[in-house]
Amino acid sequence: MRELRAALWGVSAFAVGYLLPGTLRLPTLAYDPVARTIGFTAQVSGVAMRYYGDLLWACAAGSCAAAAVWTSRRRARPVAVLTGAALSLVALDVVFYLSRLLAQV
Amino acid sequence: MTVVFEGGARALLLVHAVLGFTAVFATTHHAVSAFLAARGRSVQRQLQRFGWMASASIVAQALFGLALYPVYRVRVRFADLERSAPAVVQLFDLKEHLSALALALVLGASFAGRALQPDAPAAESRAVAALSGCGAALVWAAALIGLYVTARHPVGAP
Repeated sequence: MRELRAALWGVSAFAVGYLLPGTLRLPTLAYDPVARTIGFTAQVSGVAMRYYGDLLWACAAGSCAAAAVWTSRRRARPVAVLTGAALSLVALDVVFYLSRLLAQV
Repeated sequence: MTVVFEGGARALLLVHAVLGFTAVFATTHHAVSAFLAARGRSVQRQLQRFGWMASASIVAQALFGLALYPVYRVRVRFADLERSAPAVVQLFDLKEHLSALALALVLGASFAGRALQPDAPAAESRAVAALSGCGAALVWAAALIGLYVTARHPVGAP
């Protein structure tokens, strides 16, 4: 089923695209709610926030992966393998953010 | 100094909460339907109906949450919680991340569930059930954390 494979690849890419920009401090859109300015930077400090930018990276990665699989004519991988990979990547994200919470509490 | 959407923060928070409850129940129903499909029951109409409900409610809820975020950041997080309850700040950060991951899982499960046929191989219906179940679990976790943080200090309150 093409829809399921596109969804699984999309979820996998979203999980990777969400985790990497923040952890590797890659440049992203940053919004400063006090100054009301938007910038493209890796260094976010004070009240400025990079959540919007990280979410945009993840959405772009997920959408591109899903679209690529949707249009691909290559032989499909087994659904069980794709499902395991997608849920493992999501679990990796959850464990990483949970560990950050537990480390600081 | 005013933050964007600060004047309507309370109204936005109420809509965000209502959409949050809608998302919790729609994703839960979708997950239950997906598990029934994985057990061989014919639930294609439920999967389609709850699929679009879950997608629409979680996207709308996320948009309202993103609109509220600058007010939370300035008026709640930096003005209060960073000093009085730093653990709650970390908990809210976790909620943001769970919400983002739930968004991807729910949209993926709804998209795949919409196309799931009654005679689909077991691996496919199990995959939809896994996506949907994990998405619903993350939505529940995000909703409970959101309620807890809001009980501590809602946006729009001094």
